[in-house]
Amino acid sequence: MSSAYSLRNRLSLALAVGVTLVWMAGVTVCGLVVRHELDEAYDSALQEMAQRLLSLAVIDILDHQETLSARRVAALKPHDEFLTYVVRDGAGKILLHSHDADRDVFPEKPRTGFNTTPTHRIYGESAVSDSIFIEVAEPLRHRREAAFESTIALVLPLALFLPLGVIGVWWLVRRNMKPVIGLGEQIKARSAGDLSPLNTARLPDEIEPIRHAVNDLMERLQRSLDVERSFTANSAHELRTPIAGALAQTQRLISVLDDDERRIRAEAIESSLQRLARISEKLMQLARAEGGGIVTAAPADLGAVLDATVDEFARNIENGERLNYANPDAGTLISNIDADAFSILMRNLIENALKHSPPGSAVEIVAEDGQVRVINAGAALPNDDLISITERFSRGPTETEGSGLGLAIAAAIAENGNIHLDFKSPATGRTDGFEAIVVLPSITGGT
Amino acid sequence: MRILLIEDDAALGHAILDHVSANGHAVDWVTTLGDADAGARAVNYDLILLDLMLPDGRGLDFLRQRRNAGDATSVIILTARDRISERIEGLNAGADDYLVKPFDLSELTARIAAVARRYTGNPNPLVALADLEIDLAGRTVLRNGKAVELTAREWRLFETLLQHPGAVLSKGQLEEHLYDFDASFESNTIEVHISRLRKKLGRDIIETVRGIGYRVRRS
Repeated sequence: MSSAYSLRNRLSLALAVGVTLVWMAGVTVCGLVVRHELDEAYDSALQEMAQRLLSLAVIDILDHQETLSARRVAALKPHDEFLTYVVRDGAGKILLHSHDADRDVFPEKPRTGFNTTPTHRIYGESAVSDSIFIEVAEPLRHRREAAFESTIALVLPLALFLPLGVIGVWWLVRRNMKPVIGLGEQIKARSAGDLSPLNTARLPDEIEPIRHAVNDLMERLQRSLDVERSFTANSAHELRTPIAGALAQTQRLISVLDDDERRIRAEAIESSLQRLARISEKLMQLARAEGGGIVTAAPADLGAVLDATVDEFARNIENGERLNYANPDAGTLISNIDADAFSILMRNLIENALKHSPPGSAVEIVAEDGQVRVINAGAALPNDDLISITERFSRGPTETEGSGLGLAIAAAIAENGNIHLDFKSPATGRTDGFEAIVVLPSITGGT
Repeated sequence: MRILLIEDDAALGHAILDHVSANGHAVDWVTTLGDADAGARAVNYDLILLDLMLPDGRGLDFLRQRRNAGDATSVIILTARDRISERIEGLNAGADDYLVKPFDLSELTARIAAVARRYTGNPNPLVALADLEIDLAGRTVLRNGKAVELTAREWRLFETLLQHPGAVLSKGQLEEHLYDFDASFESNTIEVHISRLRKKLGRDIIETVRGIGYRVRRS
């Protein structure tokens, strides 16, 4: 399903992006909270230390007031200091400092409370009426490292689970979309004429109305097709019966008339009736050709239909002897074209071949492997005529009686039934003649 | 031949009756399946011309019933229904031919003749008998190359005998084949026609089997 608008892909993508965003937001909030709590804990330790040290420092300083130079607390053992401190008087003179303390870290004048410099967090406390200040400094680098490490500990396992989550989302969406996709594929796989109700396993409530509506629509379509077809069949019947009566009565009349003048008039009525019969027949066929139901739901073997159609001509006294036809093997003409539509198509092609060929010449009807060819003798048609022969009321360059609708009907059925209808003149392998080729649509995979 | 015409359309039925009778057949015309059934029980018809849509039922059902009952009378369906599925259905139900209305009466004549030939097992419309050449389809008889004129009744009688080669037909059977219900005829009509036929075609063409009936001479 490579489409610009796939519900499945959209849903998968939106859910995956959504999960990722929510996850990222969650991690960010977590990181900030951790950082805040770390700050609080570190600050509290810093403050506690400053206060403890201050009291010790005050005693120490007061005991050694005679010493003028700043004193360094002797280190017990050399080590790296995380925390450094200085004890200063109000003017900023250093009275005491830890062994690694860097003077530049601290501000010019001692300050109480928390301060943050670009590199350090400092806490100051004063004693003895603001004459002695202690400031403890802690490098920010240390805090950042702690915050970073705890954030990483938070992110890493989640980063591992995120792809799993996305795969899970995709799988869930795919699984839940299955009935929808199944329904779509069932509709797609149908042949054009299949109007039977859709049968799928239980569908979700959201999709069920679609199936219902589709089935409803197909049922209505089937009904109107049936009505249309039976109307055509019934009107054909209603029209033919009186014409048959009139024609037969006229022919009886002609047979008993011995007055030449009256006879000629009666014969004119006869030929008009015959023309009326032909034209009404063709109009009925045209209505059928342009109506629905040319394609049926289930494919069938049209060999027997072709046999019956040719047999109808073969029994005719006028042209019966001219047909050259062998019944095709079973399975040669399997198709989902409606039997009557196919018969009308073939009837018109055979009629055309008989009409437009020299009297008495043979008309060949060859059925093989999904196609039927009707070949007749006669002068080859120019190309322009080959193009225009399927136009309505086009009679061709002959004097023959005809409605001019035959090939138009054939073309309409071919178009409606997805049948490939080709005309060739001269016929294949000849220098003259005319050939109509009917290629039935392949039934594999529908139309 | 003795023919039963089942057709409910008056204009068409009348014209067919006229035409087929004029061709030398004995035709009974009914307009319902009920009458058709009664007629077929009473008379042994050679051919039934059957319309499919009748006021009291479907012609196809009538045909199927008769075939199921083992009746083999030839049937030509005359119908305004032209769909190929109906045609196939009709022929499958046991009809010998299927003619769609409107049709030319000459076409009907030809179809009747073709069915009759098929039915007698002699699909060849040309029969040679002694010095006669008989064209069953064209209804002509040549004797030593010269055309012989036969009246409709004479032709009907001769054709009936030809259609049952070798069989002896009684006077009653011949009357049944020759006359429809309404026709009135003298008791010696068959003898009169046989003697005229012998005069025109040759003495020994039709043999008399004493006490039983007549048969056509074997070629």
